[in-house]
Amino acid sequence: MTERTTPQLGAALAAEEAAIYAYGMIGVHLVSKGDVTEARAAEQAHRGRRDYLVGRLSQLKASSAPSPAGYELPYPVTDRPSALKLAIQVEDGVAQSWRPVLAVTRANDRATALAAMTEAAVRATRWRCLAEVSPVTLPFPGRPE
Amino acid sequence: MVLTGAVRMSVTGHSRRRVLAGAAVLGVAGLAGCGLLDDEPKPPETTDPLQPLLDEALALAAAYDRAVVTQPGLATRLTPLADDHRAHAAELSRLIGKSLPSTSAGASTTDPGAGAAEAVADLRAAEQTAQRTAVAACTAASADRAALIGSIAACRATHAEALR
Repeated sequence: MTERTTPQLGAALAAEEAAIYAYGMIGVHLVSKGDVTEARAAEQAHRGRRDYLVGRLSQLKASSAPSPAGYELPYPVTDRPSALKLAIQVEDGVAQSWRPVLAVTRANDRATALAAMTEAAVRATRWRCLAEVSPVTLPFPGRPE
Repeated sequence: MVLTGAVRMSVTGHSRRRVLAGAAVLGVAGLAGCGLLDDEPKPPETTDPLQPLLDEALALAAAYDRAVVTQPGLATRLTPLADDHRAHAAELSRLIGKSLPSTSAGASTTDPGAGAAEAVADLRAAEQTAQRTAVAACTAASADRAALIGSIAACRATHAEALR
């Protein structure tokens, strides 16, 4: 990994930070054990990826933009359907943020980026199943729509 | 080599044009000579490293199609997944620079006599195997191909999830 990878890693970090924030909003509107367990596991996964990215960027001596104190949600999250809709959107967005990292990394770093993208795509599919959205998969997860 | 060639040409007084024209004549003669050896086997085409991934996408699409024939009740669930594989095959063949075969003779992964649950379990196992192929291909790929192959690997993982 070189300085060349910094913008892509920075974008992935921004997406992971946004996901952690969003799950705070999402969790408030989930009640069932299945939903809550899923949301907690997802948030933990995003925290792990964020820590990895902060560490990588620090090794590259790159300063990342500080995460904003708050985010403007794309729509009000007021109930379970809007919370699940946001969860799907967040995971799709995280997958999209990792995809450009694949082209600028090799070996283990690329494998990590692929794992992060794949796990986000799988969570998006799980949320689509829980929200009973069809189809539950995308042909090219991570590719901008 | 280019430099020594140029020096020799000037020493012998041959014009560059004459040398090139001579090469062209030799080239034609060489091609004509090939006609005499038509029975010789052609040298094998070099296989694109993405060919196994393309073959796998076509085989998976065919496996889903067969499962839907034997288990029509699964059509709603399985058809979108088969379509994903066909979209992968189209992108991969474009990248490799080959047109897709109209039909695929993929190995059967579903036993026609098996029930719906077995059919889904077989497809899920096939997706997991295919995901491993795609992960390995993504890790080995050149930078310009890594993103597409990565998306295919991720999609196969989501299929395995959808078939749980």
